Amino acid sequence: MAKRTTPGKLSRETRTRLYATRRTLPLSVQSDVGLRFNVNVYFKDPLVAKNNPGADIDKDFEVPWEPGITHGPTSARFAVVDYDSSTGKLEEPAQWDEALSAYLGPKGADLNSSRGRSLAQFRQVSVWATVQHTLDFFEGGHGLGRRIEWGFEGNRLLLVPTAGYGENAYYDRMSKSLQFYWFVADAGRVNTCESSDIVNHEFGHAVLDGLRPYYFESILTETGAFHEFMGDLTALLMAFRNNVFRKKIVEQSKGDLADATLLASLAQQFGEAVTDQPYLRTALNKKKMSEAASANSHTMSQVLTGAVFDVMISLLNIRKARELDRKEANPAYKLASLERLFWYTVDHMQMCAIQPLDFLPPCDVTFRDYALAILRAEKITNPVDPDGFRKAIFEAFLCREILTEADRSLLDPTPVFTRPGLAVFNSIDDISASRGSAYRFLDDNRRELLIPPTADLTVADIARARKLTTEGRQQSDQIVLQYIWKEEISLNGAQFGKFDGERTAMLCGGTIVLDQNGNLIHWARKPGTEVLGTDDLRKAERADGLARRSKFLEDLAKRIKLGMIGDTQFSPLGVLARAIPPYEVSRRDGLLTFGMSPHFNLNHDDDQEVGGRQWQISS
Amino acid sequence: MADQLLIRMFYVGLGDFIYCRIPGAHENGGDFHIVIDCGTLSGEGYLRDAVPLLKKELPEENGKRRLDLLIVTHKHKDHMAGFGLSLWDDVAIKAMWMSAAMKPGNPQAQRAKKLHELAGQALTQAAALNLGPEFDALFGAYAADNDAAVQNLTQNLPNANGIEPVYVHAGQSTDSDLKLPLSGATFRILGPEEDIDHWYLGKPEDSSISKLVQLADEGKVESFISAHRRSEALPANVAPIDFLNLQSRMLSSALAFSEGDGALVNNTSVVLLIEWNGKRLLFVGDAEWQPRFKAGKGNSSWNTIWNRQRTLIDKPVDFLKVGHHGSINATPWGEGIERPAGTSYEPVDILNAILPTGSKAQAAASTERGRYKTIPEARLLADLGGRIGNSKKYATVFKGAGIKPESIKLYKEYEEQSFASAQPPRTDFEKLTTHAPWIDVIL
Repeated sequence: MAKRTTPGKLSRETRTRLYATRRTLPLSVQSDVGLRFNVNVYFKDPLVAKNNPGADIDKDFEVPWEPGITHGPTSARFAVVDYDSSTGKLEEPAQWDEALSAYLGPKGADLNSSRGRSLAQFRQVSVWATVQHTLDFFEGGHGLGRRIEWGFEGNRLLLVPTAGYGENAYYDRMSKSLQFYWFVADAGRVNTCESSDIVNHEFGHAVLDGLRPYYFESILTETGAFHEFMGDLTALLMAFRNNVFRKKIVEQSKGDLADATLLASLAQQFGEAVTDQPYLRTALNKKKMSEAASANSHTMSQVLTGAVFDVMISLLNIRKARELDRKEANPAYKLASLERLFWYTVDHMQMCAIQPLDFLPPCDVTFRDYALAILRAEKITNPVDPDGFRKAIFEAFLCREILTEADRSLLDPTPVFTRPGLAVFNSIDDISASRGSAYRFLDDNRRELLIPPTADLTVADIARARKLTTEGRQQSDQIVLQYIWKEEISLNGAQFGKFDGERTAMLCGGTIVLDQNGNLIHWARKPGTEVLGTDDLRKAERADGLARRSKFLEDLAKRIKLGMIGDTQFSPLGVLARAIPPYEVSRRDGLLTFGMSPHFNLNHDDDQEVGGRQWQISS
Repeated sequence: MADQLLIRMFYVGLGDFIYCRIPGAHENGGDFHIVIDCGTLSGEGYLRDAVPLLKKELPEENGKRRLDLLIVTHKHKDHMAGFGLSLWDDVAIKAMWMSAAMKPGNPQAQRAKKLHELAGQALTQAAALNLGPEFDALFGAYAADNDAAVQNLTQNLPNANGIEPVYVHAGQSTDSDLKLPLSGATFRILGPEEDIDHWYLGKPEDSSISKLVQLADEGKVESFISAHRRSEALPANVAPIDFLNLQSRMLSSALAFSEGDGALVNNTSVVLLIEWNGKRLLFVGDAEWQPRFKAGKGNSSWNTIWNRQRTLIDKPVDFLKVGHHGSINATPWGEGIERPAGTSYEPVDILNAILPTGSKAQAAASTERGRYKTIPEARLLADLGGRIGNSKKYATVFKGAGIKPESIKLYKEYEEQSFASAQPPRTDFEKLTTHAPWIDVIL
């Protein structure tokens, strides 16, 4: 039995019991009963704080409490290791004070004081709180509505707040870590871990790697670009969630969101200190797919970031226009404030951008896959669409050339839910019970699911999600099933350089999302080249597979020509960023496997200027 | 032969040991004898075998072999290891030229010196970790025998020969302030620039490595290797193996120092242009290039020469010593670099200027794969092979010699794709196919 709780203070036992039921409690109640606790962080970074008094330290920042939270900080999904490879120093970890529900510095120092903010422990807690908060958003009902896993073995992502000297920050799957480096600019030392944009960008890579681990095995520019987009999207969305920050944006933009440079700036401190640019990448761009076709993944990612930003502006404009219409129809109607409309829009945008991540294919994602997923998710939660949100979303993607005119039929009124045509019915509970049972569902229905009879299928992931609608209503449970198979390809020709004559594999597969009633929510496929049948659907599927193979070989040859694929060398001595090529190759079971290396440089301007030369050793 | 200029590149594994004889160019009416570098990363046995072969070419004078000029392009082991060995007592060295970067106490190379010291300290800490052969060369650049070679070059050899070494820099030539008993030939120094810190390292605020040197100098960076030392505490919240794995995947200041120092030393190589009999011979040491010259910042050698010595470099040459053993770092090249069509790209402009397509120039590479997998870059050599007059198709040569190309180290990965193409003569392939201890280029 739990200890009796004294008024105003909950015992640990009571808090733990409340924790078990937290999903039923509104956020404000969670805060009141200590299931969320306050941590002070910079809500952008120290430079923005300096230049924008009043938008400096976020004192309303709250993170979820967990029963296992302890020194480090260490929590269910994160462990801070504050080791600096330049100084060889392991900092003392922040101490968890259960009674205060707070992290403290050495000798009980208050990290929320101005002295506390200069301590290493402030940085430890700040970086941990930022990702703890972001993970909570991703896993919550307005996000994916489920727990997510990492892209590596293990459940704790290591956070290294001051990893060493360098103009760098990166996610590294192999060491299960996010590493944030520090450097010295004119204005003094810059800790990249103190920029919430940088932290969220890198964390976005880690989240996506957990959701779709096979994306790291892609050599397609567009898949790499999607990873970059995910980083930028995470940074933008998390910035928008901040109340004071949103208020500031509304003030500065005077209602015209597209003018708010503060909003669109990513990693402002870093950008100004190092690159002399006001920001690193911007959502305020007009780039189209045709212009970015031969660009690197960082440039290409801007097309999608820009499109999603356009969607947000459109959604806000629709809401503004709707308010004016209401006012016109009823002069007594009290117009909602721009700030309020902006919040609705941001909330809508966040669900619109994050929930469809579950609908993405397991490999080789394209921007088009994402656009289709967004439109589908919007249709499920807003089937009638009286305000024309879906049309606005479609137009934004059309304008960027991510979708085409031929896709306009997506807006045609069609039944929202349909049953998949299957040969063998499996109950939803059976399918979602385990990977083994999910496999049997796929295998029983290979022909209907367009899976070659000979392919050795792997269930990449099976998850059950409980997402909410914008109004906070529960959607039907979603069963998200990802499956993969490999199709061998011979590399023949001089364009494959030193890999000429070797074999590799193209990843094929799909993500099928069903609801708890067996309705087909979404089905994204990456077909192979095997003949599946003579009907139009199966012929089209194969044609798509053949096009995929051509693109795979074309992009691979391009990477080889640019000298971007090589062996990576890691040693007890550590890593020389310049010596790591952007794509790695390894041999497994006689097949070459290509994959992305960690992206070491925050500034990507010179990415393609020196070909393979930059990964050479000088001595 | 007597009136022809000879360039002989000895086979020394991965390294440079070059002899050049200019007929009748000595003031005394005889030939002028030059040695450029004598080093290897492949073991001193190669040098012990090759140096006696050189001596046979040098004229005897007062019981010793006379060498008119010794040039040491830069202080990397693959260019100077031979001077740490007792091989030179019977050679009368009449003049020595070395890079301005090697000048003891050079006030314009203080930060460069600091960088070298830091890299040395860092790698001394790291050498204990037994990281495998790929790193041996890295540590070798800071090993004690390297210091012995520098000591010999800057003090012992000059003292023994009664000469003062000259630390040369761009702008100097035998037509002006460089004095040699030379006739009918002109030696011009294209690199390095005299102010090493300014041209090749840049200001602390402009370059990360330069800033790191400053921080270390100020005592703000105390250790250089991320590897854990036994005396240190381990974090309590992660498994030890995860911490060790993390450290191996963190950026290393030690590697950054050594890489920065390695590039700087290469970029301060003596770049020598010999003009003789209307011909132009270019010896580039291990000079490196970058995409463009950046005014006021740290630069690479080729770009600095292109922007500072344009009139001397912007003409076809008749001989090119392929830089850095055929590494992609050391010959300005545009292959594999994505850039808008029709736009100028400085490295390509440089290569087209010195070796225009269809040139009858000669070139040669002293190289051997093994120490570094990616050196030489076979595709680069194939490109050069298409531009010169003395290229060889080694596929045919190997076939003729009855040697399977697969006997070449890492053939499939790094040679096969360009093996059918013409390449400049290579010391490693000549050794394999004809057992020749050198390559001769005759002009």
